[in-house]
Amino acid sequence: MNLVVTSLFAVEDPSQTHHWLLPETAEIVYGGIASCIIFFGLYKFGWPMIVKSMNARTARIQKELDGAADARSKSETDAAGIRTALGDIESERRKILAEADAQATAIISDGRARLLKEVADLEVKAVADLAAARGRSGEELRGEIARLSSAAISSAVAASLNDRAQQELIESFIKSVGAAK
Amino acid sequence: MSDARIEAYSRALFEVAQAEGNLSVVEDELFRMARAVESSEQLRGVLTDATIPAERRQQVVEQLMGGKASNTSMQLVSLIVGAGRGRDLVAIVDRLVQRASSEQQREVAEVRSAVALSEDQTKRLADALSKSTGRKLNLKVVVDPSVLGGLVATVGDEVIDDTVRTRLEQIKTRI
Repeated sequence: MNLVVTSLFAVEDPSQTHHWLLPETAEIVYGGIASCIIFFGLYKFGWPMIVKSMNARTARIQKELDGAADARSKSETDAAGIRTALGDIESERRKILAEADAQATAIISDGRARLLKEVADLEVKAVADLAAARGRSGEELRGEIARLSSAAISSAVAASLNDRAQQELIESFIKSVGAAK
Repeated sequence: MSDARIEAYSRALFEVAQAEGNLSVVEDELFRMARAVESSEQLRGVLTDATIPAERRQQVVEQLMGGKASNTSMQLVSLIVGAGRGRDLVAIVDRLVQRASSEQQREVAEVRSAVALSEDQTKRLADALSKSTGRKLNLKVVVDPSVLGGLVATVGDEVIDDTVRTRLEQIKTRI
């Protein structure tokens, strides 16, 4: 025992070693044992944590990779959608332009047809109005002539109806009635 | 006015005129008065206006007929107008004339002329019309300037029209 204690706690002179590089045998033993304990502790307690941490990191990285892949996929889908949409917009634009052209053509065609019809109707109406106006003027003229003629005849007859004429008319009536039977 | 009332008035006038012994004169004067009322809207308005006192209407009648008709005629018209029957004066007088003519077995012949006929013309016209229609006639001559000239005779439903007015109207129609 004394030997062990002495060997463990003996103070040696640092300049008095048995080898300039290698430690003393006891130190190797103790150091070896201590190292084993430490390595065992590390293996027992530290390694699972390291493994767990690494697994977690791996999972996180994988998750990030998956997210990135998803984002990329989504981006590609969006890009495809945008491209499709761009294509659709272009097609829609062409379609709208084509429809607008067709409508404009139809409107111009309809308008032209309507204008032509209106012009034709106006011509017919104008011709009818002219004919009516001509007829009306003729009728008015005839009426005016008849009125003036009647007035002239009335005036002339009234002027000629003197006493003698009245008596002649009365006598003529008496004679014609008397001769009637 | 009802037909019965017109009939009653005309009978009363007839009886009075007959009683006075001047039926034909009264009948003739009333006939002329009726034609005057018929042709003058103003006179008809005065004689039928209920807002004018009866005395005033009778004064108008007297002013109108005074000196131109017999007293009997004037009094009879005054009676009708004073009784407020001025509106029916024409109908009453026409009925009276018909009654008087019937009494004499005659038919009323109304002749319209622009100028008055002489007695001779009236007599010859009455003869001519009687001969033409084959009926005895009670001729009534109405001076109507609107006929302008010539005569128009109405006997019952028969009309003999030879007036200047009608001829002018025919000419106007033809024109």
